[in-house]
Amino acid sequence: MIRETVALTRRELLRITRNPQAIVTSLLLPILYLVLFGQAFNLENLGSGKIPQAYFLSAFRGAPSYFSYFSAGMTGFVAVTATLFIGANVIFDRLFGVLKRTSATPATPTAIFGSRLIAGSIQPIGLAFLVLGLSILLGHLGLSGLDITASVTAVGAVEILLAIVILSAMFASLFLAVGFSLEQPQTYFAAVNAINLPVLLTSAALYPWGTMPPWFQNVASVNPITLAVNVLRENMFAGATAYYPYGPSIYLLGLFAWALAMFVVATLLARRALAPKR
Amino acid sequence: MPDAISAQGISKTYNGKVRAVENVSFNVEAGVAYGFLGPNGAGKTTTVAMLTAQIAPTAGHAVVDGIDVFANPQDIKRRIGLVFQESTADSDLTGRENLELAAALFGVPRKEVTSRIDSLLDRMQIGDAAERLAKTYSGGMRRRLELAVGIIHSPRVLFLDEPTLGLDPQGRAGFWRYVEELRKDHGMTVFLTTHYLEEADGICERLAIIDHGHIVATGTPSELKDRLGGDVVTVRPIKPDPTLEGVLKGVPGVTSVAVQDGSFRVKAPHGEELIPALVAACERAGVGLAGVSLKRPSLDEVFLEFTGREYREDDSVSATDRAVRVGQVQQAFGRARR
Repeated sequence: MIRETVALTRRELLRITRNPQAIVTSLLLPILYLVLFGQAFNLENLGSGKIPQAYFLSAFRGAPSYFSYFSAGMTGFVAVTATLFIGANVIFDRLFGVLKRTSATPATPTAIFGSRLIAGSIQPIGLAFLVLGLSILLGHLGLSGLDITASVTAVGAVEILLAIVILSAMFASLFLAVGFSLEQPQTYFAAVNAINLPVLLTSAALYPWGTMPPWFQNVASVNPITLAVNVLRENMFAGATAYYPYGPSIYLLGLFAWALAMFVVATLLARRALAPKR
Repeated sequence: MPDAISAQGISKTYNGKVRAVENVSFNVEAGVAYGFLGPNGAGKTTTVAMLTAQIAPTAGHAVVDGIDVFANPQDIKRRIGLVFQESTADSDLTGRENLELAAALFGVPRKEVTSRIDSLLDRMQIGDAAERLAKTYSGGMRRRLELAVGIIHSPRVLFLDEPTLGLDPQGRAGFWRYVEELRKDHGMTVFLTTHYLEEADGICERLAIIDHGHIVATGTPSELKDRLGGDVVTVRPIKPDPTLEGVLKGVPGVTSVAVQDGSFRVKAPHGEELIPALVAACERAGVGLAGVSLKRPSLDEVFLEFTGREYREDDSVSATDRAVRVGQVQQAFGRARR
């Protein structure tokens, strides 16, 4: 099964790298947010210097500016925009007979599903670091940019990487579950749109934590994007840990629980979809 | 020779309503090219899908290459080759990458992968295009690539489900030439479905004619044609005349007479020699003729004989399509009720 999974994962990654439109589309939304939305919300300038810096530090949970806080959120959001194509590929592979042909080989449903999940978990890593790099670059171009104020340790870097990978795996599972359950591209994209916006808008990717009402904080604190960006923010901003009730490992654990739950659901749906038709 | 394929009473009903295949039984000797001939919707693709473990049967039992298909679906997939009627080559991969992927999925020994792929690319005459994405291939090249993918693991039984659909005559001839070479070189059993009569006649050693999910006749192409009892002379009177059947039966040399759509199908061993006598008999009976035609025994005639209707290539919707439509209607009604 390992050989089958590796071969199918290679196929998925080759398809992704040969489809630059999908990569551009994955990056388009986060970049637009960074270049337009992020630049317009210099919240730390509110009050013309009369509001103490400590207030903003608390509102942004240790980030030196709203953009720095927000760009970490966009880095997490890439996991959503990049993985939705993994689910879409299932739909198109079914339409073009590729899934049928693969199912007619000895490849197990586990290998067929697992390869897509692995590709979906790996693919957003590069894109997430592109968004981080662009966020830093914008600061050097005289615009609002990401200011990493902490010295990121090796452990911290691994935690950031894990947060991106696990978040990507979670959303890849979710979109694979949708892809294996639906047959038409238009239905898939309607479902994905119905998922994306609520997930983003109930997370702490966009809003300053300090401006959220308590009930919203409760909702946002269990959102998987929030769990992932908490890990990024705690590691990237000096003194940030003081604003979080838990350390990065706890958030990683919570994120892993989400990923596991989605994995189980997606596996069941994929196995059902790939089983011989009754 | 042992049987490479044995199907006993296999049936498939979609959505509990659409009977695609019903109680079909047949045996295919190892090394033989066996054809399933029938129009769209006859149940050919459903039969292949059951024998290749893609769909579960509603009833019946099948053994392919000594393996119980329905009890060991993964094992059977390892032992057979399959070329679908629709194009399934991975467009975003090169020809070589398509074959490498298939080799890995079918467990071809690693050290043999490159040599097998090079040999197949060469044999299928797509070696020059091996590094090109499959989406740039012509229809014929894609079909040859798909055939190469289907045999990368040297299966002993190869299923071809209407593999030449959509190809021009030259492409079809080329495809069958490759299949014939493979069969001769490797002793492969080939099970193919087609609705091209001339393909079935030229390639298959044995045939089954399937219509509305039932096998209506089996035999070699020659046996099936022989069962027609010779040539068929069709006598078409200007006006319908029920007495003409008796007149024609009385002509010496006539084997049988059947009425179809107002015409009379007269069977005789040597049809062309009989035509003057048939015309003379009609004149004597005072029956005016609109036309007389002669047909040598052909699979068209065989099909007509066993199904009672003319063979037309696109005269019905496939059972799979019908099942999908039934499902869509059910879904629509379900949604409306909710």
